[in-house]
Amino acid sequence: MSREEILEGIKEILKTVNSIDKDKIDGITESTDFITDLSAPSTELINIIAKAENKFDVEFDDDDIDDMGSTVGETIDLVVKALAAQ
Amino acid sequence: MRKVAVVGMDGVFPTCNGLQEFSDKLFSNQSLIREWPEALKYEKQLRSKVSGFISLDECGLRQVDSSILEDYPEFYEDLQERIPKGFLSTSDLGAIWAMFSTLGALKMANWTTSEIKSERTGVVVGSAGAGHSIMRASWKNFFDLGKKSRALGTHNVDRTMVYRDAANIACLIQSKGVCEAIGSACATGLGNIGYAARLIAWGDQDRIICGGTEATSIETFIGFDAMQVLSSGFSPAESSRSFDKNRKGFVCSFGCGIVALEAYDLAKARGANILAVIDQYFNNGDGDGDMFAPSYDGQMRLLKGVIGSNKLPDVVKAHGTSTVTGDMVELTSIASFLKGHQFHISAPKSQFGHMLGAAGAVEFIAALLMLKEQKVSPCLNANELSEDLEQTQLSPNWRGPLIPAAQHRELIPTHTITKEINNIVCLNYGFGGTNSAISISKPY
Repeated sequence: MSREEILEGIKEILKTVNSIDKDKIDGITESTDFITDLSAPSTELINIIAKAENKFDVEFDDDDIDDMGSTVGETIDLVVKALAAQ
Repeated sequence: MRKVAVVGMDGVFPTCNGLQEFSDKLFSNQSLIREWPEALKYEKQLRSKVSGFISLDECGLRQVDSSILEDYPEFYEDLQERIPKGFLSTSDLGAIWAMFSTLGALKMANWTTSEIKSERTGVVVGSAGAGHSIMRASWKNFFDLGKKSRALGTHNVDRTMVYRDAANIACLIQSKGVCEAIGSACATGLGNIGYAARLIAWGDQDRIICGGTEATSIETFIGFDAMQVLSSGFSPAESSRSFDKNRKGFVCSFGCGIVALEAYDLAKARGANILAVIDQYFNNGDGDGDMFAPSYDGQMRLLKGVIGSNKLPDVVKAHGTSTVTGDMVELTSIASFLKGHQFHISAPKSQFGHMLGAAGAVEFIAALLMLKEQKVSPCLNANELSEDLEQTQLSPNWRGPLIPAAQHRELIPTHTITKEINNIVCLNYGFGGTNSAISISKPY
């Protein structure tokens, strides 16, 4: 799965997150920050992560989640790593 | 001590589209109790099948299921867009109702934005139960289906914590004062209003949004059904029959009541529409070591505390659950304390059932409507009062007078009556022997 395909999948996830402004979703890139650019509460990140695990049918390592930042690209990194580990 | 005014009210009520319909139905002797399809689904697992419930459709909500978890309501979509979306993720059904009702009460109170967002404005709202529907789904997915904790998401705590209702309201309106929930079982609704009135009377706050909410929840219902304390064997409208000889228990119901309280002098100075003045709040405990049975002595002390040297009430809004023991203890304590005084008893639970943590607040709103309309809402179905001493009165533990219920017939109207009402006393009790009472009077 390409990074572009994962990005599109994350956009689909974000459409189901109440605290994110839906008008901003189409324009997101890998450098988009969930907290500073999309105004998501920091507590919402784990919801996005859990939905990403489900959508891409992967399981993230707990330590990787702890070390993750808050950009879309870092979420894509997690997915890529988890897919490679399968 | 400062006087306290009630300047706003609203709620979510079974079978009613708003406060006006609730008022219309109360005073036209209607029952808000129906067969509950959710209870019917469980057939023989449940004894009671009736409730004063409110469906998602009826309150303009739609359940949005989680894409990760089984049977988990990720949030409830507000189809009328009354609440910003973010708050729909942090609330359970009861908290959403509390937010709806807060917006209605604030509109009536007509507080300015700066007054609402003040350090002098607080929120005191509670529920008797937890966010049971959310907990049930979360625990099933974690314990039974082996899901990781993170799959539950970050809103499991805020949607189930004890003071989720107050927290969501305070975040919604951005008040900067007290934000708390008082828990006292079935006295919760009145207890929150009473505590809020004290905070204003003591000078700690100027304005408070307060009350109680109890979300429609089969998980809540089954606990009471298990205790065999719910009414059965009657048609839905006849199931709740406070003080009637043939009463068989209460009807487990759901709803929300929120009122806006304000320091009387401030309300008067700004020309507010004052709905009522709170003359006294008093609460106590039975002190008899009994978790469940009400106490005649405890209720006599309660009446003394709330009425004291104040004017005697024209109406007593009773707890009136329709349980065998509860109603007899309450009827005899009220009748004894007010012996020789002309008044009437109103039992709103006879019309909409027992809303648990919301009961005291919704019934307080019923009392406000009685003051406004100058009408006493009825003790529906109290058609036959016992001519003989009831079994409860023959118990060796009975502490009240040995007078049959029928001798109090003139106190218990089965239909709405119109009369001059200047003062009302509201009574509610809860498991653990907790008792709460508020006296209110017409504004002047």
